Amino acid sequence: MIECVSVEARVGAFSLRDVTFAVPSGGYGVVIGPAGSGKTTLLEVLGGVIRSTTGTIRLGGRDATRLAPEARRVGLVYQHAYLFPHLSVARNIVYGASGDAGAREIATRLGADRLWARDVQSLSGGERQLVALARALARRPDVLLLDEPFSALDPRRRAHVRREVRAIHRELGMTVLQVTHDFAEAGLLGDVAILLDGGRVLQHGAPDEVFRRPASPYIAEFLGAENVLAGTVMPCDDGGVAGEELAAGGGPGGGAAHASYRALEFRAAGTSLTIVAVGEADPGPGHAVIRAEEIVVSRAPGASSARNSFRGRVIDVATTGALTRVTVDVDGLPLVAALTTRSARELALAPGVDVYASFKAMAVHLC
Amino acid sequence: MADRALYRLASVVTALVASCFLLFLAAPVGQLVSAAGARGLAELGSDPELRDALALTAVTATIATVAGVVGGTPIAYLIARYAFRGRALLAAVLDLPLLIPHPVAGIALLLALGRQSPIGNALLAAGFRISGSRAGIICAMLFVSAPLYLSAAREAFARVDPRYEAVARTLGDPAWRAFRRVTLPLATRGLVAAAVVMWARAVSEFGAIVVLTYNPKVVSVLSYDRFTSYGLPEALPVAAVLVLLALVPLTILRALRYERGAGDF
Repeated sequence: MIECVSVEARVGAFSLRDVTFAVPSGGYGVVIGPAGSGKTTLLEVLGGVIRSTTGTIRLGGRDATRLAPEARRVGLVYQHAYLFPHLSVARNIVYGASGDAGAREIATRLGADRLWARDVQSLSGGERQLVALARALARRPDVLLLDEPFSALDPRRRAHVRREVRAIHRELGMTVLQVTHDFAEAGLLGDVAILLDGGRVLQHGAPDEVFRRPASPYIAEFLGAENVLAGTVMPCDDGGVAGEELAAGGGPGGGAAHASYRALEFRAAGTSLTIVAVGEADPGPGHAVIRAEEIVVSRAPGASSARNSFRGRVIDVATTGALTRVTVDVDGLPLVAALTTRSARELALAPGVDVYASFKAMAVHLC
Repeated sequence: MADRALYRLASVVTALVASCFLLFLAAPVGQLVSAAGARGLAELGSDPELRDALALTAVTATIATVAGVVGGTPIAYLIARYAFRGRALLAAVLDLPLLIPHPVAGIALLLALGRQSPIGNALLAAGFRISGSRAGIICAMLFVSAPLYLSAAREAFARVDPRYEAVARTLGDPAWRAFRRVTLPLATRGLVAAAVVMWARAVSEFGAIVVLTYNPKVVSVLSYDRFTSYGLPEALPVAAVLVLLALVPLTILRALRYERGAGDF
């Protein structure tokens, strides 16, 4: 496992402050955060390359806070690979391995075996990342630290390597912590998501929980939520309807209904729009977060059982491949909905068209 | 069109300035070699004092360089890699011999290592004389030329990204092994270049040596001695032969540096 308790470290003017999180043994953690948030520094602190000034680091169940990097049994893969340029690909991969055969097997699984005889200088960025991954895995570490290890791979190879790394991780029982900018990758790979900004952990937990229930509007916006509305949270008298939704669909995030959740109303600032929500928020100023994929767009009212349904006018339609984002103006408030491009075509959505935007009370996260 | 004309004019001016600079550096040496190079080479066969001076210069400069590399490499690595209190002061102190006029450096060495000094006296009692000996020549060469090695070696280590070493450490190497297997090979080209510069500077040293050890004579002292005793015509061949012979190892080492891929990171 990887466990950080109140870890602090300093690199020049930058500091990691009070970093606390845990990735269970054999788990796969993902670190997400904006550029300069300290993601790479965090991996280097875990790897022992940078010494923490305070706090405790436990790796594989033992206190590693003061251990030298070579004693931590970690593999560290940087985004820029850092292959040793004076050694061949083969010598890079076997560098820390106990035997050539095992190293070759890992290289084969990752598709790096075809590069075995190549010179490091002749490799592309993606090939370098493959070799760096093989080099770290060949040592069969207890903990694998990956800093955007797939960023230079083409989509097909990325999918393959991602699958193989996941499989090797399971087979070897390694605990992995991976830095990524790719939210889809974070959701796909991670058992634990750690959101880092300004050297601090803003939120950590199951990726679905972090994505669906961001702790602040800033986190919501960083995680790509298109609809983050400022306004006022108020108690709701009509708790029955929201209660029905809870009973029908489980709690927020698809889980079991939470006893403390109650129906609330949210009035968006500067509009007369009142949204029904379910949550734990205290009445007063707050934010409502609604993910675009939770909003259903229809041409007629009552097309959905959702508690929130508002009439509006399409002001923008943006298609990216199979997905179309439709912006609907509801009483001066732009709401972004994500539809399949096929649905958008069937509904003949275009700027100026009147539609209904609907979403469930449970789809509204108050923070 | 105007941009292209301006670019051409700038190119011509740059080429002219560079040519003048090259001429300024090469002309005196070329003049010296053309005036006395052939005679100097001819005298090599007939002048045992010149042969001895050349051998002494080569050997002492090489020993001083080896001492500089062995002693200076860890210090250069320490300064390049680790941020510690007093790092800037240490680096400045190590650069200091570059600022001291070389005869003054010779006097300082004489004060520290001469017969009147506690160290010199103790060494003399142990049968080891510094001033007026080959050891004195080596000390003078080391003192004035080591700062050049240290400075260039520091840069060579600084150019190697510490993350290579970090990766090697996580792959199981203790600090010393990571240095030997990764950092040192990656810095080798820069270190060789630094050693070449140090060796060249040691070969050309005169001011500090002449104060510490006049005899036995290295080539620079022999050239000065012949100039003061017999005039310029006798000094020129000695100087010319030093230039010609120094050119050989310098060219070989520079060629190795440019031809080899290692270290070009």
